[in-house]
This record gives sequence, C-alpha cells and structure tokens, in this order.
Amino acid sequence: MARILVLDDVLDAVILIEKILTRKGHDIQTFTAEEDAIKHAESNRIDLAILDIKLKKMSGIQVLEQLKKLQPKMKAIMLTGYPTIESAQEAIELGAKEYCVKPIDKQELEEKVAEVLAR
Amino acid sequence: MNPAQKHKESEYLEVFQEVTRLISSVHDPQQVMDLVVLKLPKLMAVDAATIRLLDKATDSFVLGAACGVSDTYLSRATIDSREVMEELMKGRPTAKKDVHIKCDHDSYSYVTREGVKSAMSLPILYKNEVTGILRLLTRDSRKFSEEEIGFAMSLAEQVGVAISNSRMFQELENQVRFLSELREISRLVNSTLDLEVILQTIVNKLPQTLGLKGCTIRLLHPATNRLELAAASGLSETYLKRGSISRESSLFKVLKGEPVAIFDASNDPRVEYHDEIRREGIKSILAVPIKNESEIIGVLRLLTDVPRSFSEAEINFAVTMAEEGGNAIEKARTYRKITLLFNQIEEHEQFLQTILDSLWLQVLVVDPNQRVVMVNRVFLETCGNKEEQILGQLYEDIVPWRHRDMADCPVSKALAEKKALAILDYLQGDDVNEARWYERHLTPIVSTEGNVSFVIEAVRDITDQKLLEQEKMERMKLEGVVEMAGTAAHQINSPLFAALGTAQLVRDDLVSKESIEDIDFIIKNIKTIADLTNKMTKVTGFESRQYVGNTNIVKLKSKKSS
Repeated sequence: MARILVLDDVLDAVILIEKILTRKGHDIQTFTAEEDAIKHAESNRIDLAILDIKLKKMSGIQVLEQLKKLQPKMKAIMLTGYPTIESAQEAIELGAKEYCVKPIDKQELEEKVAEVLAR
Repeated sequence: MNPAQKHKESEYLEVFQEVTRLISSVHDPQQVMDLVVLKLPKLMAVDAATIRLLDKATDSFVLGAACGVSDTYLSRATIDSREVMEELMKGRPTAKKDVHIKCDHDSYSYVTREGVKSAMSLPILYKNEVTGILRLLTRDSRKFSEEEIGFAMSLAEQVGVAISNSRMFQELENQVRFLSELREISRLVNSTLDLEVILQTIVNKLPQTLGLKGCTIRLLHPATNRLELAAASGLSETYLKRGSISRESSLFKVLKGEPVAIFDASNDPRVEYHDEIRREGIKSILAVPIKNESEIIGVLRLLTDVPRSFSEAEINFAVTMAEEGGNAIEKARTYRKITLLFNQIEEHEQFLQTILDSLWLQVLVVDPNQRVVMVNRVFLETCGNKEEQILGQLYEDIVPWRHRDMADCPVSKALAEKKALAILDYLQGDDVNEARWYERHLTPIVSTEGNVSFVIEAVRDITDQKLLEQEKMERMKLEGVVEMAGTAAHQINSPLFAALGTAQLVRDDLVSKESIEDIDFIIKNIKTIADLTNKMTKVTGFESRQYVGNTNIVKLKSKKSS
C-alpha cells in the first residue's frame, strides 16, 4: 500500500482517481487546491504524487518542484489535458516518472501507478 | 636779274624738276621720304637731311627718314628749340647759323657731338596743315639765304604733296587689299564655331596682312571682368608672361572703345614693361577694342618690329577686323555655352534615366494626350517591349493594367482632377498562379499656368508582399485554431477522464451481459471523443470546408502521435 497524493482542479477527476486507486488498496489523499496539497506534504509522508499540470493558481510543475523540496524521495506522475513538449521536458527534469495525457484509461492508470511505485 | 641770279634760278629749276620727277615716280611714302633725304643734300649742298612726320595721336614728330646724321643724333629727345618748333607749327620755316653755339635746349650735346652748325627747318604742309618737318643740316657754319629758304620751302611743299599723295595712293591700295583680307578673314572666322580656331585665325592672319611682328588677343573674363590672354602669334613666351598689363593707360582708352596707336612703344608711357618690349624687338603697337555689337569684350594688339605710324586705313581695318572677330568670338562663346548646357541637360537626363532605371518600380510618363513619353527599364523588361515600340503610343494600348472603360482610367482622372491618386490593382494572368497585385501611384505635374503637363505613374508589383500577407494571415488563423483546439481539448479532457474512468469502474461491478454491453458502448464513444481531443492537441493545420449554405467548417490536420 502506498501513500498517494492526488491534485487536480477538477473535483470529479480527483474523486475518480481516488476510487480507482483505493480499489487497488492505496491510501489516497485528494486535493483541488495547491496550497492544501503542499501543506499536507509538509507533515505527511507521500510515496507518489499524481499532479495535473493545469491548476487554479500554480502549475503542476511548480507544485512538483515544491513537493520535491519537502520530500525528495517522493515519486510523481504528471497528468495533462494539453500535452506540450516543454511541459513534459520540465516535469521529467523535476523528477516526474510518468507524463500521462487525459483522458487516461483506468487500466493504464493502474498500470502506471504500479510501475512507478515498483521502481 | 644779273647773270649769277639767272644761273642760280636755273639751278633751282633743275633741282626742283629733279625732285619732282623723283618723287612722282614712287608711290610708297617711305620711298618718297627716303629718296628726298638721300637726294636733297647733294642738290641743296647740305650735309644731312631728315624728315619727321607728325603723329597726331601723341602730337609729336616721329622720324620718317634721314640721311647724313648718326642714329644717336636722331634719337635725341628734343628736335629743336621751342621757338623753332612753334614757328614750324605755324607753317613757317626757320634757318639758323651756329646752332652748336646758340643751342639752348637739352639736346645740345647731341648737336655738338654730331658737328651740326647750321640748320634749316621747314614745315611739310599739305592743304595748309603741318604734316611733318624737313630739316637740312650743315657741318659748316652757313647762313641760308632767303632764296635758299624760299626754294627749300617750295621743295618741302612738293615733298608734302608727294608724301600725302603716296599715302593716299597707298591707303587706297591698302584699303582694296584690306577689303579682300577682311572678306577672307571674316569667311574663316565665320566658318567655324570653335573659339580657339577663330582666335588663332585672327592672330595668324593679321600679321600677314598688316606686315606685323605679332598679334595678341585678350578677352575680358565674364566673371572677373579682367583681361586674359586668349591667343597670340609672333611673340615669345617670356614676353607674353611679362606680367599684368591691366594698369596700362593705353588699355583704359581701348576698353572705352578707342583705338590707340603707339609709335615708340619702348619709351611711350602709355604702355609698361619697356625693357621687355625692347628685348622682344617691338617698336610700335596698335591696340583696338574687340567689340560684340556695342559691348567691348576684349583687346586686339598689333605689334611691329619696325617703327610704324599706323595709317587711318590700317587702324580702320584693325577696328573692323576686331569687330568682325568680336562677333565671331561671341557666337562661338554662345555656341560653347549652348553646347555646355546641352551636355549638362544630356547628363542630367542620363542621371535621371539611370535613377529611373535603377528603381524596382515601373515608371511611365504620360502627356496630356495620354501618349507615353517616357518609360523606365523595369517597365520595358516587364512588358517585354523596346522603348521605340512604346514611346508615342496611347497609354491604354500599352499598359497591361489597362481599363477597358476609359472613363475609369486613372490617368484620365489624374489629368482631370489634377490630384495624385493611388490604386491597388489585381491582374489575373492566364494561369491562376500568375495572378499579380500592383500598387499604382499617379502624380500629375501641374505647370505654373495650372495645366497638367504630364502624369507620372509609378507601379510597384506587390504580389510577393500580398502572398506574404496572406501566408501570415493563414498562420495567424492557424495559431488561433490550434490554441482554440488545445484549450477546448484541455477543458474537455478532465471531465472526459472522470466520465471514462467512472464508466470503467462501473463496468467492473456489472454482471449482466446486457449491462456490460451498454457500458462498453458508452466507453467506446467516450474513447472516440478522447481520440478527437487528442487530435485537437496536435493540430498542425486545417482545411476550410463548406458545410451548409454560407457556413464553413474546418478539417483539422494533426501530426501523427509518436
């Protein structure tokens, strides 16, 4: 079981990810606001962060940068509805293990999470 | 009358006849004078004879001929005492004995050195006017008798008549010759418009005609009004470069329009550079104004290497020649100015043509009759014609952007309204790809009278610019479409992700085959939408397609997913 932080500005998206990954036995913490997610990471261990790139105030890349400072060993999967080469390159440089394009298939999500956690 | 007197009279008669016979046989005044001074001493039993002629220009007597005395004696400044000269000017003879003792003038030393003791001075008269003096000198102390004086006086009168007649004869002869020469020189100077040739013809011909040493022409420079040497003949470079002569008083007189004749140039105060004149061997000078109509444009100077009193005919000839030359010079100058102007105009035209030809614009100049009077190289190259095929043609017949309806012709409009206008023109070629755009500017040139003299049309081919603008617009449209598609895809993808994931979770819980088929149908369509949003994020271009009526839709082009 892994501790997974999910951050997306669309509430339905975080609920879905929570549902899918809970069934896989993971401990899921969902957020739609960036500052809440960062605050949570300050006092709780996180194994994996699933971050949407487009958020309300910050970008997922900026959140990833801050989370990495708090928890360097934390793994991350970036999600985006509008993939660009620049955002993908930056995410990888900041330590994101996967870069997935929405709408991601349920099975694909399960596999990617398993794969990243296994690394 | 006693026999001695009779004998004397008989002798006088013989002498008189002899002198008359001699002087009647020659027509040259110089020959007459030379003959008189040569023969008279023997006939009159004197040692020497001199003839001096009155130079009216300087009111002084200049040597005509002499025999029996030295050159030094002849060169003395004062001929005789004032008393004697006054008597002579009144037409009365004088005879003096012991002039070497009673001499009271500044040439005393010359008289004593020469050994002259007695002198008879006789006026040479012609029509009651003194034209010269004849002097008979002896080296022994001799008192001339009244008879001798009377006889000498009648001889002097004869000499005066002979000199005047021969002068007249020579004048007539000269005038005939001068007329012929004048005609010849006039023909030469008027047969060319080359200023140098005219000037050189005058300075070369005049010395031949008048028997001169040399000749110079100085012309007033139009800008500085200073005399500048324009041509010369018979004179050394050293003499010609002796310095400025602008302060010579003779020139002031000439520049006022009067000829100036100088008998003794090396001593005359009216000219400067006496040493140079002497070294050059110049004796007499005649300077005459060169005129063009009433305006004096220069000075012609005639120089002799023997002392010469220029006759009226010679002076008239020189004046006429200078006038004739002046007209030809002015004509040549005018021609030169016109040629210069013409060359300048040609240069300007060439300069303008070069500029026009260097332009990337097509340029045409059209006259009020709408005929093309000028085109540049770019126009000719563009339409593939030669200049001679274009010039003089009607505008509407030669321009590719002609308007069928001439009422709309912009040239007509520019001519009528006298205002500049700009037009954006589109010219469709045979091939669709040959379409060209032109930017045309028409500018009327309005004269001071308010009429349009010409219309200048400058035509710029802006096809490349237009295509670039179109491409830029297409790119901007594409950027808009791409951004719009990306934004839409992003906005759709999150709820789509929620819907797809939820449907897949639901499917996991279903057992009924029918329900599973239904949920699979939903999942399949959500994935179709997902494919579309995926495609929208990768748009590289689009194609506009007609939908219904005036509505168009776009067909997106995307790069293939890697």
